[in-house]
Amino acid sequence: MFERRLYHHIDWLMVVALAVLCLLGLTQIYSATGGPTRVYTTQIYGILLGLVAFGVCLSVDYRTLADKSHWIYLGVLVLLGYVLLFGAVRGGSRRWIDLGLFNLQPSEFAKAALALMLAKHFGEGRRGVATRTDLLIGGAITVLPLVLISQQPDLGTAVTLIPVFLAVAYLAGMPLRIFGVLALAGVLMAPIAWKFALQDYQKERISTFLDPSQDAKGAGYQQIQARITVGSGGLWGKGFTKGTQGQLRFLPVAHNDFIFSVLAEEQGFAGVLVALGLYLFVIVRGIASARLAKDRLGAYLVLGVLAAFSFQVIYNITMSAGLAPVKGLTLPLMSYGGSSMIATLAGFGLILNVRMRRFTN
Amino acid sequence: MDIPGESKQRVATRLTAIQVAVALVFGGLAIGFWYLQIVEHARFEELAENNHQRRLALRAPRGVLYDRDGRVLVENRESFSISIVREHTKDLDRTTNLLARVLAIDVARVRETVERHRRDPAYQPIVIVDDASLAQVAAVTARRLDFELPDVVVERVPARRYPTDALAAHLFGYVGEASDAQADNARIRSGAIVGQSGIERSYNLDLMGEDGAKLVVVNSVGREMRTLDEVPPVGGNRLQLTIDYDVQKAVEDGFRASGFNGAAVLLDPANGEVLAFASVPGYDPNAFASGINRATWSALNADQFKPLQNRAIQGRYSPGSVFKMAVAVAALEEDVVTPYHKIFCGGGQNFFGRVFKCHKKGGHGFVDMRQAIKESCDVYFYTVGNMVGVDHINKWATALGLGVKSGIDLPNETQGLVPSTAWKRERHKEKWYAGETISVSIGQGQVSVTPISLAVYMATLANGGTRVTPHVVRAVDAGDGWKPRAAPPPQSVTRFDPDKLQAIRDGLWMVVNDGGTGRRARIDGKDVAGKTGTAQVISNEGRLAARNTTRDLHDHGWFSFFAPRDNPQIAGVVFLEHGYHSANAASVAHHALETFFAKKDGRPLPPAPTREDLNLDLSDPMDRRVPALARPAQEATRVRPADAVTARAQ
Repeated sequence: MFERRLYHHIDWLMVVALAVLCLLGLTQIYSATGGPTRVYTTQIYGILLGLVAFGVCLSVDYRTLADKSHWIYLGVLVLLGYVLLFGAVRGGSRRWIDLGLFNLQPSEFAKAALALMLAKHFGEGRRGVATRTDLLIGGAITVLPLVLISQQPDLGTAVTLIPVFLAVAYLAGMPLRIFGVLALAGVLMAPIAWKFALQDYQKERISTFLDPSQDAKGAGYQQIQARITVGSGGLWGKGFTKGTQGQLRFLPVAHNDFIFSVLAEEQGFAGVLVALGLYLFVIVRGIASARLAKDRLGAYLVLGVLAAFSFQVIYNITMSAGLAPVKGLTLPLMSYGGSSMIATLAGFGLILNVRMRRFTN
Repeated sequence: MDIPGESKQRVATRLTAIQVAVALVFGGLAIGFWYLQIVEHARFEELAENNHQRRLALRAPRGVLYDRDGRVLVENRESFSISIVREHTKDLDRTTNLLARVLAIDVARVRETVERHRRDPAYQPIVIVDDASLAQVAAVTARRLDFELPDVVVERVPARRYPTDALAAHLFGYVGEASDAQADNARIRSGAIVGQSGIERSYNLDLMGEDGAKLVVVNSVGREMRTLDEVPPVGGNRLQLTIDYDVQKAVEDGFRASGFNGAAVLLDPANGEVLAFASVPGYDPNAFASGINRATWSALNADQFKPLQNRAIQGRYSPGSVFKMAVAVAALEEDVVTPYHKIFCGGGQNFFGRVFKCHKKGGHGFVDMRQAIKESCDVYFYTVGNMVGVDHINKWATALGLGVKSGIDLPNETQGLVPSTAWKRERHKEKWYAGETISVSIGQGQVSVTPISLAVYMATLANGGTRVTPHVVRAVDAGDGWKPRAAPPPQSVTRFDPDKLQAIRDGLWMVVNDGGTGRRARIDGKDVAGKTGTAQVISNEGRLAARNTTRDLHDHGWFSFFAPRDNPQIAGVVFLEHGYHSANAASVAHHALETFFAKKDGRPLPPAPTREDLNLDLSDPMDRRVPALARPAQEATRVRPADAVTARAQ
């Protein structure tokens, strides 16, 4: 299964970048939660488990995994269904399966499972270009978990699945005019969605994003505080554990959704540039892996995984600067969260898997 | 890639497009952070500081007051105030309702208080409860820990602690929130606690000290995390008063035992130091220490005995016979009579067609100055008063301290009145009638005095003509040790002829030591000199008419004194409101004098007197009152309304 020579093709630069991002996240969690708390140790366990998942996903040939992708996909759907029925409720939504030691969040694994499933679906086509039927089926594959996740409700994670589909479909040759049609449909649907689909709290978040001061104590509070946190960091930051906004809890869930704000406050613009550079490196390096992939399946798989990752990174960082509506989307690799860490590292296992096996048959 | 060329080309192109797009987005993010962290840094840094730094006022404790022996009279205690800080409030209605429930107070009052401070900055605490009980503090603290009331703070503030028995309440005064007018002063900010009466007010700038400030870091729910900078408050200056606690207490014990209201002032005649200062009934200044509640305030104001009035410097009363020494001084100094000149008292005398009676029915016979004072012979003083004239009486009474303000270092002193022809012309646009002088000669008519001015009057008689300025502060410690505060200069100095003055002093000595009306004030070996006086509250007829009212219509009693006669160390006055007889005032004065001399001589202080010890005379003087006008006893006397408050000579 794992041949010795494959070892030489592991993308060690990528591994180092991932490790540095994990450690960066860990230190900021340490700072934001005020020392080696349970949150901090849980994150370490998450990273260790993530390394195991990373190893597993790296070792098994991605083509073998793709062959089994419908089982994986089905398994995730079952878990998502189970969550809806029996999941643990926290903060008004049902997202977790209580495993005793820790809580499993199946929606995190839905991203990689969807990438695998879509990669197989589009990669298997005889012709190089995806047909409309392919696109419709791909859309259906995406919508199923999306609907299940949005029912939890977890709109943030649900929406993350859309870039996966779009990226894979784009790479599979979806005509650009369909993007145009989708975009137009999206604009037209927006008022209807506003009226019927969005919950009140979601509407509130969007409207306060447009004018945070209208509710400076409520929904706009986090956004204003996020900007203050980031802006007060300056060029060099206030220093490790010296941030006031995060330390004194003016910024809510600082170790989670707003971990990047804490980094910006304590490490300043310099730290931000380093972190941004690392993320950009990881993404660009990932895209390069897609370029190197031996087959379309591999390229699609890599891009599918990267799409969810990049979308989440970009959205979270934008939000952490108070430049986007607040949404419960974590920052992959840095935010606190075991399931997210394991799923993200598993995803990168897949990416390295594709790159590593570019010469094999 | 083992994929068809066309699709391989497309994949490559589209990957490049994605790569470029991602790079652009990251570039945009970098620019966004650059804008926030570099361009707008200063603004956000300030916002972050405002977020978590608070400047809290540290209330300075007011200066401690000591008596002349260094005994603590007024000090400070720690109290807790409970306030709302709206900055951390999410729902003000919820907070006010919950707080009112937790504190068991009226929610409307809480709302009103919050409304009153609506325009204050949101970080400034709005005090809801001053001097909260421990139960209230505990209730709030528990709910703060549960984050139920994150916007409510409990602060420690120093509050005044006054003696619990209302000792010298009017002297100390009380404190309260500065009014807007008071807050104009650069040192007093709005809402500060300042003295509102008594020493607290007149020495406010000495006592109030300087508030400090503390710069603290608070977290998002307003809890203090650490202190960044602290300017400790500077406590107010300590004041050593001229008051002697033991004498003060003796005076108040006397009043308490007697059951009468009134006032007393005891001075050192040499320099005007006030040894004791009482106004009865008192009130509890502790009730004001951290904001008086409305009910207590209205009750104090509505009280028929007017406990808030400082009778010693604000009460104006008819002096009666204690005024006679002023007439005596005028007559002697203007050389109208010599001390040995004798005047015949037949029990009454006709002046200007009207008969003025002496209080002694059969008359005193021939009396000279000494005897006239001892017997308080009305006819003698009618006669010399008439001879010397009202303007000379006014002149010498003023020199002795009557009809003018004493200049004591306490706020809101009122002025008594000694009439003169000029005064009447100015005030009533009328000519002075010589007959009026007769009433003035025995301290009746328009004459009115404050107890403090009578004390100065006795001090002036005692020291030979120096009208000392009464004052209550001896020394000040501004943190660098006690520095004596110089006694204020005398209001005036008049050189009385010592021989003439001696006759008056002898007369006063005889009042106490030779079977006169002041005999109850006698102390062996101390040569107490004094004079009693009775101020009639209402005429006999008025009293008959007002029989059914609940008002107390009994006479006021005076006893004014100094001692020892030849080397006076103390002078003063005791005034008993509705005290029936002036002898009762002498009893109260006796206990105070006895305490003063016992302390001076190092003897054990006398115990507080009981009511029996005072041997009060509560017989109704109306039964033996002689009508002021010579009319058949059965016939009702016509009295002008102005005479409703007059004096009866003894």
